[in-house]
Formats: sequence, C-alpha cells, structure tokens
Amino acid sequence: MATIHDEIDSWLAADLHGELSNNERNALHAHLLDCAGCRKTHQEIKTMNKILEETLAQEKPDPAFEQRMLAGFRKRAPQRAGLVKLLVDLMRLRAVQITAVAAALLGLVQIGRMITGENATSLRKRYAEAEVAAPQPPESRPSQAGALGRSGGIAAGRPQDLAIEAPAPPPATRSKFREESKAAAATVAPDKAEQGETTESEAFAATPESPTNAEEAGKTRGESPAPALANRKLIRNAIVELEILSFDNAVQKITAVANEEHGYIATTDSEKQANGKLRGQVVVKVLPENLDLFLQKIRSLGELKKQTLGTEDVTKAYFDTDARLKNAHVMEQRLIDMLKTKTGKVSDLLQVEKELGRVREEIEKMQGELKYWDSQVQFATVTISLAEKDMEEPAAFLIRERAQLALYAPDVEKTYNEIKSLASPKVQITNAQLNRDYSGRVSAQMSMLIAPEESDGAIGRVKVFGRVENFQTQTQRTAQGGNPAAAGSENARTKRDKVELNIAISREEQEQAFQQTSLRIRTSSVDEKAKELRALTEKQGGRVRSSTFSRDPDGRAVANVSLRVPMKNYLAIMQSLDSLGKVENVSVQRQDRTDAQIDEANAPADVSIQVYSQGNIVTEESGLLATLRRTLAQSAGAIMWSLRMIGVAIAFLAPWAIAIVGVIWVGRRIIRAKR
Amino acid sequence: MDPSEREKYQAAIHGDREAFEMIIRTHSRTLFAIAYGVLQSREEAEDVAQDSLVKAWKTRWRVRDPEKFPAWLATIARHKAHDVFRKRRTVPLSEQATEPIEPEPANTSALDQKLHSALAALPELHRAALTLRYFEEMDYRTIENSLGLTNGALRGILGRALTSMRKQLRPALTPMD
Repeated sequence: MATIHDEIDSWLAADLHGELSNNERNALHAHLLDCAGCRKTHQEIKTMNKILEETLAQEKPDPAFEQRMLAGFRKRAPQRAGLVKLLVDLMRLRAVQITAVAAALLGLVQIGRMITGENATSLRKRYAEAEVAAPQPPESRPSQAGALGRSGGIAAGRPQDLAIEAPAPPPATRSKFREESKAAAATVAPDKAEQGETTESEAFAATPESPTNAEEAGKTRGESPAPALANRKLIRNAIVELEILSFDNAVQKITAVANEEHGYIATTDSEKQANGKLRGQVVVKVLPENLDLFLQKIRSLGELKKQTLGTEDVTKAYFDTDARLKNAHVMEQRLIDMLKTKTGKVSDLLQVEKELGRVREEIEKMQGELKYWDSQVQFATVTISLAEKDMEEPAAFLIRERAQLALYAPDVEKTYNEIKSLASPKVQITNAQLNRDYSGRVSAQMSMLIAPEESDGAIGRVKVFGRVENFQTQTQRTAQGGNPAAAGSENARTKRDKVELNIAISREEQEQAFQQTSLRIRTSSVDEKAKELRALTEKQGGRVRSSTFSRDPDGRAVANVSLRVPMKNYLAIMQSLDSLGKVENVSVQRQDRTDAQIDEANAPADVSIQVYSQGNIVTEESGLLATLRRTLAQSAGAIMWSLRMIGVAIAFLAPWAIAIVGVIWVGRRIIRAKR
Repeated sequence: MDPSEREKYQAAIHGDREAFEMIIRTHSRTLFAIAYGVLQSREEAEDVAQDSLVKAWKTRWRVRDPEKFPAWLATIARHKAHDVFRKRRTVPLSEQATEPIEPEPANTSALDQKLHSALAALPELHRAALTLRYFEEMDYRTIENSLGLTNGALRGILGRALTSMRKQLRPALTPMD
C-alpha cells in the first residue's frame, strides 16, 4: 500500500471530507492499522480539520448574505425599462451587430457623398419632384415645419416648388411659415414654445388670414435665405424640337397658339437646306402659368423629337442687385448734394463729378439687369426648333475615284521625268518627289489629278513606262447635303470628280519575286558546278544576285547561289539544273497577288541553290568519349539546377516561417501573461 | 451538468434577470469563499463578490458555453480579488503595519491568530479550496467545477493544504491531544 502511505495526506483529507468510496475507505483503514506513522498523522489531521471547521465557520457569511448580494446587484445593475432593454438585448446579437456596422458604413458613405456634393443636386431634384407629385394634406404641413427649418439646403428648394404648384399660397402654407419662424424662436425660449405653439396654430386654422400675414411671417424669419413666396424670381424656359411637314404652316399654327395663350412670337429664323427643305427656329414668349398648356398644344403640330423644361431661380441675384441699386441711389444723392454745396477745390469737384458719372452708369446697368430679369420672369421662353420631314435627303452624289499604281522600272529617274512630261491642263501633277535612300536606291512618288474624261487614257500611258506591279482603284460616293443612307437618295444626281492617281516607282531590283524556289544540289565538285550554274543563268537571261562559297574543316564544301530569272525562262533553267548533279529538297513558294494586275511572263522568279559536297562522316561530336563527356556535363548541370531551386525555395519560405514562429511566440507570451 | 441547471445558465446569459438572481442566490457564497481565500478579509471579500456579480451580469454575453458559467464566475471573482490584493499591497507601510493587528481583536484566541497566519502562508489555490470546503461544506465535485480542477488534483491540493497547516500549527495542536 505504498501509494496510500505516500499520499496519506490527501487520502486522510478525503476521508475526513467523506469523499472516499467504500473500497478506498477500507483500504485506507487497513493501512492505518498497519502503519503507526500514518495513524499519528491521522490524529493530527483530524484535529486540524476540527479546528478549521470551528474557526472558519465563524468567518462564514451571515444568513442575510445572499439578500445583501441581491440588493446590491439590483442597485448597481438596474433593470432597463422596455425599449432600452430591448435595444440593448438586440445589440448583443451577432446578426444585429453586423447589420449595425453595415448601416454605419453606409451612412458614412452617404454623408461623404453629401459633403463632396456628388449626387446632391439630383437628390434635391428628386425631393422636389416627390413634393409636387404628392402634395400632402394641409394638416400635416405644420408638423413638418420644424424639420424643414432644420434641413437648410432642402428647405430652400422647397418653397420654390410650391410656387410652381400654386402661385397664391393657401392659408395652410402660410401657417406653415409662421410655424417655421416660431421653430426658430423656440430655440431661444423652449419653455414658452410648448404652450404657445398649440394656441397659435389653432388661431391660424380657425381664421383664414389676409396675405399680409404671410409677408409678416416672412419678415420675422430675419436672415432666413428664402423670402416670401410671391417675391421669388423664377425664369422658366423650354426647348422643343419638332419634325413637321411644312415649315410655314407650322409657324402659322404656333403664332395662333401663342396668341391664344397670351404670348407672342419673339423671333423666327429659317434656313433652306441644299435639298430644298426648310429648317428653322421660333422663339415664343408666354406667361409662365400658361407654359404647360402651350407646350401641350405645340406638341400636336408634328413629331416631337426632344423637349426640355428648365427653371432658373434668380431670386438671390435679383435681390442682391436690387439692394445694390438702392445703395447706388443713396450714393448718387449724396454726390449731388456735395455738388450743390459747391465747397472745396475745383479738382475735388471734378473728382465728385467723375464719381457721379460712374455711379450713374452703374445704376443704369443694374436697372437694365433688373428689367431684363423682370422681362424674363414675366414671360417664359419657349424655343421651338422646327425641321421639315426627310431633312436628311441628299441633294447630289459626288463620285471620287482614287487609283494606286506601283511601277517597276529599270531606270527610275528616266521614268520619273517621262511621267512628269505628261502634265497638261487636264492632267495636273500635284506632287512629285524623287528619293534616294541611305543605300543609294532610288524611288519616286508622284500624285496627279486627272480630269474624269481623260483618266483612262492618261493611266494607260503611265502604265507603259514600266512593269506594273500593282494597280488598284477605289471609288467613293459622297452625298452632298444629307445622309447617304436616308430615303430618297436614288433620286439624287451623280457627278464625277477628278481622278486622283498616286504612282510609286521603284527600281526593278527591289521587286518582290513572284515565285521563290529553293533547292539543294549534291555533287562532288562544288566549285566547278557553281561556275557552271552562273554561266547557265546568263544564258537564260537571268542574273546572279549573290554567290558564296565555303569549305569547313571536315572537307565539306558549300556554295550558295541565288539568281533571278523572268517567269518565262523559269522552266528552262529548272530543267537544265538536273545536269549539274542530284537535285534535292525542292520547295516552291508562289505569291498569289490576285488583287493586282500582273504581267506574269516578265515577273521575276527567284531561285536559291545550295550546291554541296559530303565531307568526312565521323566527327568529334560522336563516339564513346564524347557521349561520356556530354552525360557528365548534363548531370552536373542538373545538380546545380536543383541546388539553385532549393535555395529559391528556402529564400521564399524563410520569411513565412519566421513570421509564423514570431506570431506563435507572441501569442504564447500573451496567454502566459493572462494566466 | 443537470439540464435544468444548464437551462438556467443559458437563460442568464441571454439576459433573463430572474435566472441570474437565482444564480446569485446559489453562487454568491462560492464567490465569497474564493475571494476570502485570496484576501482573508470578510469585508473585502464581500465587496469582491458583489463586484464580480455585477461584472458578470454586464459581460454575460461573452460566455459561449453555459456549462462553463460557474467556472467563469469563479474566475471573475479570483481576478477581482487579486486586483484588490494588489492594491492593498501598495498601501503605505505605516498603515499596513497596523492592519494585521487591528482586524484581529481580543475575542480571537492565539490559536486563531496562528491559524490565520498559517492560512495566509498557503498558496492561493489551496486557500480557495479550503475556504470552499469549510465555508460551504461543498462536495469535491462542486469545488472541482468552481475552480476548474480534476478530482485527483483537488484531493492533492486539499491534502497538502491540510498537512502544511498541520505542520505549522503542530506546537499548538499537541496540547489538545
């Protein structure tokens, strides 16, 4: 029972605390019978236990302890009432937290947008539209007044819309302004406001007030940016685009409608197009309140293409100018007084006179401005753009021909001069240039304009001067005074314009071969055969363009000969090649230039021939030793490569490993610190 | 854990005040015992128990597993008690010197004083186990739950605690035999 003896303390303690199972207790008691030392310990522990029980029982909290805890808890963590509790409980939910964070972010984005002004105007417009579309019942207006007063920018836009809706404000709206002014007052004296508010608004509802009240209310608002409704200066204008059958008819009808709606025609202008159709503009002035009706009537005249309706608020500018005008008048009066008293030096008087002139000029300018605004406000401007149907029908077509000619000539300069001499009143040379590039090659570019009836003949004459490599013509049809795709174009006249001819002359040498052939000839005596080949070429009317000869250390000789023959001699030379040796690897490439007119018989054909002989068969690149050497070199390369790859992998992984170890270390430190 | 107990803890975590008050009734003595184990002062221990309960109510949503609620409560109480203990140590020396004598008036015997000093010499965990056992006569299982110990560990702790007390008090014990 070594274990019991070794851990006798805990066994005894558990026994005293009644936590031993029956088996354990029996075992312990059996051991106690055997062991005198443990018996002594048992005694001591029993006493200890008793003392502890007695002593610590005194320290035990009294029976009222729980009650005190509960009372303290209730005092320090008071129960939240209804809504607050619900909110707090809700905030504890993860989903609600996420939603709240998302909402907060969205809110920030919106605020940012408003601050930067992005979309701000459209927002206001939408707000205004909603207002006009659904006018609220008058009773609900006063309750909104406070909110309106607070949201400055939007509120400024609102009375303006109301003005459009109803020029003469109904009593309910007036009480709204009253309310608004009071909302401002309420911030000064909040205690008074509560009782005063109800009685006053009741008074308004009960007695329909005279219009002066509204103005009064407007004045009490002091520095508020929006003055009373009736004084708003709004310029309304509309732009309408119509497609009509007959211009004159439409103008007549517009005049009639304008008269009906108490408006007048300000300006008309019209313009006759090349195809005989009329296009024009009519500016009509109508009273703003009749604008909508007028537009409706106008629309029935023809097909509506576009309509825009705009309102410009010039209230602020108007009243600013008005105030400045008043100041200027005062200034003027003062200057006049100064002149009247006529004291002071002559130069001073002159100065005053000058100043007076300046002030008067300013006054006139401002008066003019105000008058202009008044007239603009008094009448709405409708700009009607009229266009007769089939406006786009073209009047005529112009056919323009453009030709490109590429010539190859043996002597570029001579050909160039010959073409130049063709110039006549019907053939104008617009551009002629002779170029010599860095390697001494000569080429020429020419452009000419040829009268339509002369064009075929002139082009034919130019073609004779050299070998035509390429000839292309393009025809372009342009419509005059309209859209070529529009209906009615088949009726239009057709006219032929001058033919533009661009000629490029290059030396024959530079011409690309019509057909390219490459082949190899195996023979024993390369030198000799190459010479023979050159002689053969001369005989067939061809030219040797390049020729090389080389012999490598193994005794192999190679000669490369490239030659050019006319197409008509091509077959003959190919046949004669057989006599030189064994012909191998023949490949023929032909360029199909279907788009161009080609003189095939004289077109050049290139033939490149490799004449070679076989050398020694065994080289240094074969044999046992070479194979061994190659194998060794390759394996060394492979080992170096894998070493390099391992290095790269370590370099890539090391920072990660260091970072992960660091994070784990810090985490452990934190956990340890918490413990 | 008993399903009804579990339900009670769950309700408390979700903000059911009644369930939480029930828990206060059943667990405040445990908290007191733990705090007493650290501080050896009834007033301070009671304050700590009170503070712990309020803190537990305010941060109850941090507990994910209702099974761990009692152990979590005990942890709060232990931390709070340690905070108080640490603050007490920073009290100026002159006050500290008078303190040990003052709270033990004449009505406590010499044995009591010795017992208290022996208790003070024990490691904190041992003291907590002892106070839980002798204040509340808790069975080992409940103590294990509250302190987050295994049965073997608790037995060892209690055995060692008793023995070390016994050794320190031996001169006082012998006359009683």
